[in-house]
Amino acid sequence: MEASRGNVQKAEQRAGMKKTEKTNKKRSKQDEEEEEEEDQLFNLNNKSLEEDEDLSDSEESVYSGLEDSGSDPDEEEEEGEDGGSDDDDEDEEDEQDQNEKSTVKKSKKKEGGDEEKEVKKEDEYDHDTSDEEDIRNTVGNIPMEWYKDFPHVGYDLDGKKIFKPIRNKDELDDFLDKMENPDYWKTVHDKKTASDIVLSEEQIELVNRLQKGQFGDVNFNEYEPTVEFFSNDVMIHPVTNRPADKRSFIPSLIEKEKVSKLVHAIKMGWIKPRRVQDDSRGRFYDLWANEDSSILAKHKMHLPAPKIPLPGHEESYNPPPEFMFTDEEKALWEQQDPSDRKLPFIPKKYPSLRQVPAFSRFIHERFERCLDLYLCPRQRKMRVNVNPEDLIPKLPKPKDLQPFPTTQALVYRGHSGLVRSISVSPSGQWLVSGSDDGSVRLWEVCSSRCLKTVQVGGAVKSVAWNPNPSLCLVAVTVDSAVLILSPALADKQVISASERLLSAQQEEGPSEGSQPVVWSEMEGEELNQGIRLKIQHPKPVHQVTWHSKGDYLASVMPDHSSHMQVFIHQLSRRRSQNPFRRNKGLVQAVSFHPIRPYFFVATQRSVRIYNLVKQDMTKKLQANSKWISSIAVHSGGDHVICGSYDCRLSWFDLDLSTKPYKMLRHHKKAVRSVAYHRGYPLFASASDDGSVIVCHGTVYNDLLQNPLIVPVKVLRGHVITHDLGVLDVTFHPTQPWVFSSGADATIRLFT
Amino acid sequence: MSQLQARFFTEDQRYVVDDVPFSIPAASEVQDLSNVINKLLEAKHASHSRVEFDFLVKGQFLRTQLATHMETEGISTEDVVEIEYVQRITAPEPEECIMHDDWISSVEADSEWILTGSYDKTARIWSLEGKVVTTVAGHSDVVKDVAWVKRDGLTSLLLTASLDQTVLLWEWNSERNQVKARHCCRGHTGSVDAISTDPTGSKFCSGSWDKMLKIWSAVPTEEADEVEESADRPRKKQKTQQLGLTRTPLMTLSGHNEAVSSVLWCDSEEVCSASWDHTIRLWDVEAGVMKTTLSGSKVFNCISYSPLCRRLASASTDRHIRLWDPRTKDGTLVLLSLTSHTGWITAVKWAPSHEHQLISGSLDNLVKLWDTRSCKAPLYDLAAHEDKVFCVDWTDSGLMLSGGADNKLYTYKYSAAQTDAGA
Repeated sequence: MEASRGNVQKAEQRAGMKKTEKTNKKRSKQDEEEEEEEDQLFNLNNKSLEEDEDLSDSEESVYSGLEDSGSDPDEEEEEGEDGGSDDDDEDEEDEQDQNEKSTVKKSKKKEGGDEEKEVKKEDEYDHDTSDEEDIRNTVGNIPMEWYKDFPHVGYDLDGKKIFKPIRNKDELDDFLDKMENPDYWKTVHDKKTASDIVLSEEQIELVNRLQKGQFGDVNFNEYEPTVEFFSNDVMIHPVTNRPADKRSFIPSLIEKEKVSKLVHAIKMGWIKPRRVQDDSRGRFYDLWANEDSSILAKHKMHLPAPKIPLPGHEESYNPPPEFMFTDEEKALWEQQDPSDRKLPFIPKKYPSLRQVPAFSRFIHERFERCLDLYLCPRQRKMRVNVNPEDLIPKLPKPKDLQPFPTTQALVYRGHSGLVRSISVSPSGQWLVSGSDDGSVRLWEVCSSRCLKTVQVGGAVKSVAWNPNPSLCLVAVTVDSAVLILSPALADKQVISASERLLSAQQEEGPSEGSQPVVWSEMEGEELNQGIRLKIQHPKPVHQVTWHSKGDYLASVMPDHSSHMQVFIHQLSRRRSQNPFRRNKGLVQAVSFHPIRPYFFVATQRSVRIYNLVKQDMTKKLQANSKWISSIAVHSGGDHVICGSYDCRLSWFDLDLSTKPYKMLRHHKKAVRSVAYHRGYPLFASASDDGSVIVCHGTVYNDLLQNPLIVPVKVLRGHVITHDLGVLDVTFHPTQPWVFSSGADATIRLFT
Repeated sequence: MSQLQARFFTEDQRYVVDDVPFSIPAASEVQDLSNVINKLLEAKHASHSRVEFDFLVKGQFLRTQLATHMETEGISTEDVVEIEYVQRITAPEPEECIMHDDWISSVEADSEWILTGSYDKTARIWSLEGKVVTTVAGHSDVVKDVAWVKRDGLTSLLLTASLDQTVLLWEWNSERNQVKARHCCRGHTGSVDAISTDPTGSKFCSGSWDKMLKIWSAVPTEEADEVEESADRPRKKQKTQQLGLTRTPLMTLSGHNEAVSSVLWCDSEEVCSASWDHTIRLWDVEAGVMKTTLSGSKVFNCISYSPLCRRLASASTDRHIRLWDPRTKDGTLVLLSLTSHTGWITAVKWAPSHEHQLISGSLDNLVKLWDTRSCKAPLYDLAAHEDKVFCVDWTDSGLMLSGGADNKLYTYKYSAAQTDAGA
């Protein structure tokens, strides 16, 4: 660094001079070896040259980069000329000291520094690893112990032995020498020459300075102000204005050759592209590939610690008065178990925040917080977020399920007692009703005109119109008798056909007097009214129902104690039989299957289905209700609805299960009657709450599709009388109309 | 928009005003407009006496404020509004209340006599003043429908249809006031609910609960038709004492799936029938085949045909009167619905002399007078009946009749018929 700095200074000085002697610039090729060393300097020189000469001589500045070595001889000459300056000398000396190698080249020498140089050499060569040889002893850099047993320590330049000085100093002598010799402390032993050397003052001083970590040269100022090569200002001229080489624009021929060789090699297949690492062998494999993803998910699941609720007003140091405890609240708080308290502390008021004391329960609270964290459940409870709306099955709108009865159209008035039962003729033109006032009335459906009234002399529990359209008969239950009525409201042929059926001679006649059921023909006044036959039962009959062919009818006498609860009568042969030997419970209602020889018997809790041909029970339906009131069978025969006194209506799909497919609890009070429509997908239920609920019930032929049940309409109109509302409901056979009879002695038609 | 430009016009020559646009308040109602016309007429003729008018905007009666009406009808208020005015139809005045012994099932009146059928199994002939002329008794069951066949001079022919499955053809001599059953038309196997005489008076058609339509000859003869009696009917003879000679149908038209509730002749070749199977069918009587089916969604109780506007009006159980074009091939097109009743509509009848007016009777005890130009609301509600209305009729002389389950036959004088005859 010293040298370079010196050079810079010289260059600057010289730059000034060079301006004057611009013209006699010449090129000299000497000192080739130095050129390399100082290459860097020349560049710097050039820069300064250019800076100064830029305007005056463009030619020189252009080629200055090429002529960099040319200035060196000038420099040498100039140095020679003005060698008198002190700065120069010192610099030279420093350079010599530092470099140590170029001693030969510099002609100038200083006598005063010779001795010092020697001393320094001794010092340095002891530890220096450089290949500079000590010329006084030619043994080289070897451990001097090797010459321990010899009288000499090596050889000088002339090949003569350097003999050790005769030394017979022992420890004592040494000690004495140390005590007596004042120069002892500055005497060092030179192992190479095996001689003692007494250091001079300068040498000692140098040693001291070095020991202190100072520079060896006294005059060296280590804190000299720096002279910057470059200013930190951005100059208008570039550092080097050398134009780019032509070769930087020309594609390199060598490279081209190399590339073409490679290309050729690739083409010939000599060079193969690097093989793709084949991982299929399983060098790497997914450790968790077979891991259950749910386990991974569980591990991934982040469970945040429970948060402390934010402080409220009552935790304020100055809570609003409504948060302060009253006396009762305070007393209550103190009485309560700590776990029951609403607040874990009593709100307190302080005039200022400064007066709030330290929180006495701090540790306790932190402990509880830790408990909270520690006891926090580490498993996430999977809560299903379901919109309640979605759980409701998508049902079609009632509007789309037209037609169904919506409004009351006609009221059939005439009865004076509650109308227990109604039935519609198969043609849909007539309606028969039986009432507690002891009359059976026949109505024209379309005009609500009562065409006939038949007094039967007793409360009518049940009426049933024969479903066979080629017959015109009505079965009526009065007390313990079933009356067969011929209303004569049909074509003459139909009337005569029913007459023939009724007058057909019984085969057995009253042969067995012990028959529980007695058939008898009516006479006189009752015959004029149209009552043709009387089937006397042992007990009050509650229900009568026809088989779809119209020859058989079944009657029900609910009685716990008897096994004779159900009778099946055959009209054409005037025969009755009790199909059941044993009492299986209180029979509520019976019904024939519309197509197959099945018979439905509803007891209080269940519905039994009997096969009349095989004479055994095929199925038992559990209604899940306390007391079945009524039963209706779908016209297809595969579905049954039951109404019960505990407000329910249960729909059974016989193909599906013996349990109800659906329970409808729309009524507020006991369901009295249920009915299916013969053609339309409708069913209705009548209840003591005075309403008739009409539901849409589509039945699919496809066994996989469950029936679609949609409540479509609540029909009101009947007045609740004596806690009884609607007692019977039945559909019109062809129109989507429903009839209902009520305790208010009316029958209503809803269309 | 407080003022509207309106031009008034009428077809009634007595009340013509100048054909210039007037600026009238948009909020004006019928009464205001009527005042305007009366003022104009007074200015024209000093002798003008006040007349109430009704106003039609684009063929619809004005019932609300003019601006509201035009907004709902979607008529631009920028242009001059053409407003037609007609003399207001005065309310029908109740004339007579004719008491019956039982429910009145049917009524048919001509210019002199009123024929009613009743649930007491008889039909009665009344004078227009409400005096009973004669009682036609002979049916063994409720008379469901009656019809006049022909009246020439003093003898008239009339028909009664009954629940006992027969139709009786009677000859009535009005001078001697004698009724004689000429023919007993047998063949239906259900109650005969509707009969209708063809325009020439030579045939009639009956519709029955047994789903059949039968065409009969209405000409009385002295011979009985042969009836193939089934041998196994020993009781029949002793049971019924038959009135008149047996007549068998000329033709049977079958096709309905439910009871036929109403029949009528559109012209001498065509019969129209309404049924509970939700259809109205048109039959070609000559060929004996069905021509067109108009399908509805509810049971039809009654139909009426107006030769003036060539529309069918149907009365359904769903409280709407619907207007149909019987000539349309696409049988489901309802031209218009008139909705105001709250019960089944049991009867409907076009005005014989007015192409826009009809009356209807309903189970809600009301008889309503309608104008098809105002389908939202009827012209008048005739709330005379106390029970279900079963039948309505309308004579050429401007008399409206209605009968029902309160045993009363009401007649109403309808005066607007002749004044509005030109419309």
